[in-house]
Amino acid sequence: MTKLLITEITRMGPAFCVIGLQREKDKIRSVRPVSATANSWLHFPYQRGDVLQCELAPFSGAKPHIEDRVSTSGFEKESTVPEPEVVTYLRKAEIAGSLPELFGCVLHENKSGSGLFAKPPEPKRSVCGAETQNLRLELCANEPRATLALPSGEVLRDLPVVDRDWRDFIDAALAEGRGVNRVARLERFLSSQFHYKVLSCPHHFIRLGLTRPYRDLCWLMLDTLIPLPKQDWLEEF
Amino acid sequence: MAPIKEENRWRRLVEECFRREAGSEAPIPDSAQDLIETGALDSMGWVSFLRALESASGMNDLGALLTNRTPSLQSIFQAFKESQAESSSLQAASCVGDAATGASVILVSSSAATGSRRIPSEEIDQAFGMPPGKLRLRAGIESLAYAAEGENELMLGVRAAQQTLHAAACGAQELDWIIATSETHRGYPSLAARLHSQLLARENCGALDVGGACLGLLNGLAVAQSLIASGQAHTIAVITSDVHSCIFRPGRVAGEFGGLFGDGASAFLLRAKSGSASQAGYALGDFFFGCAGQYAGAIRVADASNGDLDVHFDGEALSRAAITRMEKVILDVELRSGLARSTVQGLATHQPNPRLVTLLAKQLDLAPDKFPSIARTLGNLGSSTCGVALDAILQSARNGKLSQPGPIFLASLGPGLLFGGGWLVFS
Repeated sequence: MTKLLITEITRMGPAFCVIGLQREKDKIRSVRPVSATANSWLHFPYQRGDVLQCELAPFSGAKPHIEDRVSTSGFEKESTVPEPEVVTYLRKAEIAGSLPELFGCVLHENKSGSGLFAKPPEPKRSVCGAETQNLRLELCANEPRATLALPSGEVLRDLPVVDRDWRDFIDAALAEGRGVNRVARLERFLSSQFHYKVLSCPHHFIRLGLTRPYRDLCWLMLDTLIPLPKQDWLEEF
Repeated sequence: MAPIKEENRWRRLVEECFRREAGSEAPIPDSAQDLIETGALDSMGWVSFLRALESASGMNDLGALLTNRTPSLQSIFQAFKESQAESSSLQAASCVGDAATGASVILVSSSAATGSRRIPSEEIDQAFGMPPGKLRLRAGIESLAYAAEGENELMLGVRAAQQTLHAAACGAQELDWIIATSETHRGYPSLAARLHSQLLARENCGALDVGGACLGLLNGLAVAQSLIASGQAHTIAVITSDVHSCIFRPGRVAGEFGGLFGDGASAFLLRAKSGSASQAGYALGDFFFGCAGQYAGAIRVADASNGDLDVHFDGEALSRAAITRMEKVILDVELRSGLARSTVQGLATHQPNPRLVTLLAKQLDLAPDKFPSIARTLGNLGSSTCGVALDAILQSARNGKLSQPGPIFLASLGPGLLFGGGWLVFS
């Protein structure tokens, strides 16, 4: 059995992608449990910080998704680790302070639109943690996007936010039952309160990921933004 | 850049950007077609397409306008029409703005940040090898704001800017330009570029450094006003930041000069006055500038070949020039604006040292408290002196909850001897 601390739950379309941390001797590394038939999960009833027991089989995932492991049994929840402690472990796993260190390769700018991508097989991994000097979220036509500055001062712009909890939070903020001017209210929150809530949090941390190759390119995404949003923030705007 | 206004040109741009995203052979979809649901683009492609359009058209809020709308070309054209209507209303408001005050640019919010350490002036006397009490007795300086370890122009500037944006609930992505000024920041990337990165402004938000040393804030405000008035920009942050304590160190410059300076920053958010909004606030009036070369020799600072600073500082001559020229500038502000100086809320001026400010108030027959006390407790903050003073006046006007606060006069000087003046009127 393998113990996995769940650190990433991302949502793109209807399915979830999950990543956890596994301790191997004195190292902590990221592992992505996938089913035998798909890379993602249509149902994943667990949270970030849950420690799950599972059976994982080695799997030679296509580069750069070297973290893939096939889950051969169901998940069994063992315990829960509080958010600050999750970040303590994330800081001991894959981490980078500058653009080239993130995935061990050159990242390219999309010349005709937005976003950054890596060219397989150049990336050495598909997930990496980072501290940020600054970070902001904005909405672009229903899609949350993040722009952030790494400790090196390098800026990553317009990254798709695929963090399940943040996407759910934004969906909830825009839900029809929340009255009028929902978009303007959410934008106001993201422009003001968000900054203080997230960046002043002592365990603020992010994880960046690469999509699976799409037209031969792997696109950069914001997989995880910690702290995760709190339900009661919705009452503030 | 100014947004594109012609509908046909806009339509061509939409088609060109769509083909770049979907492929050159892709047919242009029906106007009402849901581009994501029908698979013409995926959600990442849709955003990428919109970003390309924003960048090419100058319509930077297109993505924001399309939230909660169907991802279709029809939605894009609708957003374009709405934006055009808003822009027309804005232009109409500018045209009917008060011609005397040029009241089409509003100062929405402001903030200041100073070095975290407060050093009594006697400690500075000692550090520079001067007799104890010299700065206090001769210049009127009681203490100085010095940057703590790790604080620099970037950090203080970011702090002031973030507070200003927060006060206005304005996201950094709304900025069209960042205009920075500093008399101490050296090296590249320039301060404006570094502020741009740290604040996470949009990539197509401009970053401009302006000079002028202690006159820098007025230069920056005048440039911002011109950009907004010309329709090139709607929202601009003007930021000053100066950290003298790292440059004017004991042993490098004389205490009579280096001991006068402290560390600080200020930030101001300016916006075009919107026709629809009933926003009350201070509007920028006119600015005027010049250079009185006869005083150029009073202060000169240059890099010496041995790495030191070559400072020529004739304190007596500079004091005389400063008082004479500042008085002249303030009288010119009064003349040009038609606003009596007796009615002002305050004067945000350069403050070479507190003694000169007291003397200036006396010459102009104004109460000394019309000049916020900046240099007395913080020192001469360079380009940020005027900024921190202006912020103090704006805060006091807000805290006083006055329905019609008085005008604010601006006046400053820089080596050269550069001079400039201007005013703000509550409207």
